Amino acid sequence: MGFFEQYRVLLRKDLTREFRSKEMLSSMGIYALLVLVVYGAALSQTSKGLDILQMSGGLIWALIVFTSMLGLNRSFAFEKEQGCLEGILLAPIDRSTIFLSKATSNCLFLLVVELITVPLFAFFFLGGVTLAPSWPLIVFPLLLGSIGIAGVGTLLSTITLETRGKDVLLAVLFVPLLFPLVYACVAATTGCMVGSEGFMTTYLRSLLLAGGYDIIMLSLSWALYDFVISA
Amino acid sequence: MTDAIVAKGLRKAFGSRVAVDDLSFTLPKGRFLVVFGPNGAGKTTLLRMLSTLSRPSAGSANILGLDLIEDAQELRRHIGFISHAPMLYPALSASENLLFFARLQGVPNPQARVKDLLDAVELSHRSLDPVSTFSRGMLQRCSIARALLGDPELLLLDEPYSGLDLRAADIFDQLLSDHRADRSIVMVSHDLQHGYDLADQLLLMSRGKLLLSADKDDLPFDEFQHRFRAGAGMAVG
Repeated sequence: MGFFEQYRVLLRKDLTREFRSKEMLSSMGIYALLVLVVYGAALSQTSKGLDILQMSGGLIWALIVFTSMLGLNRSFAFEKEQGCLEGILLAPIDRSTIFLSKATSNCLFLLVVELITVPLFAFFFLGGVTLAPSWPLIVFPLLLGSIGIAGVGTLLSTITLETRGKDVLLAVLFVPLLFPLVYACVAATTGCMVGSEGFMTTYLRSLLLAGGYDIIMLSLSWALYDFVISA
Repeated sequence: MTDAIVAKGLRKAFGSRVAVDDLSFTLPKGRFLVVFGPNGAGKTTLLRMLSTLSRPSAGSANILGLDLIEDAQELRRHIGFISHAPMLYPALSASENLLFFARLQGVPNPQARVKDLLDAVELSHRSLDPVSTFSRGMLQRCSIARALLGDPELLLLDEPYSGLDLRAADIFDQLLSDHRADRSIVMVSHDLQHGYDLADQLLLMSRGKLLLSADKDDLPFDEFQHRFRAGAGMAVG
């Protein structure tokens, strides 16, 4: 069986399992909604002169990063519970296939949550402001950011899988490693939503940084995965 | 090549704790080796190394003509492993679980193979139910079917009878006797009498070390039992 067939089989299993249990999507979705509630409480106390639009990129990405950590912790937890990961490791497949399929499923679940929470964020917090005509361009930073988060997060959640205090350790490793990507995505997201003069230069430069980060980190994760999962 | 396993100086250490130390043995093809030993003897660690799940800290092993480390990916095609965990996804049905692992193993005509194995372990009537609804014994039977999916030449069994009721144990005995002729088996067991009855070869471990390796024909049960108790006593003492 070739690489793509193995990848398809692994991905299909993750999607079927999640479709049945809804463990990751429901926990990530509920957590994201709770963060929105906290945002609501925090922003209701600010002065009326506050430009929420300028902060929207940062708020959206804080929501995405923390929500994704919850999902990444869960993504391998269920594989460990019944020894299923060992079942996969006993199959005659390349370990990097496991990485790619898991990163893809994590990315898809994150995108589903974003599909619900980002419009909700706009509905609750951006109702009274005028978005720039360029706001649909938010799709690209969301996509590049989610790919990077899923790729790096899949590697790190594998590294922390057998450690004590893995939830804390994942956060400690995840946030600093993700900083360049989050920085670029916040800049691109804010840029396209505010649409100030000359925003396109910043937007494209940020996307380039995010894309470069994705390529480098995904390649590294792919190359290191066999060593990490066999350790 | 007439040996299924040739292990030389296998060692596994977790930090400063040595789980398996300088273990060497040979298992000819088609033979049934039963590994005995008290808790913490290193039996499970040995099976995990032989299954390629855990990399030895030192030593080497040639399994079915393949190197344990260099040819690990190819070797996995020829090994079936039953461990303490069922290695089954609770949210998926028995049939979906087995089909998933069969496809990963590259089993030809996976649907037919899964159907045959579910029949063999008498789970056909529950094939569409999520395995989260299965009893411990049913999970173990499904796990046995999973291990046999690729028709492996080498079966590694870590206390496979644990959790099985009498009927399920009979089914497993029948499966073992049906498949025994054309494959090599390594089984970890705590049941001295049952393990001894099944074995062609005996291996006794304690504190990660090999205490005894013998052909069953050369070691009557009483003497084996005596040697086991002496070894277990040493581990406790």
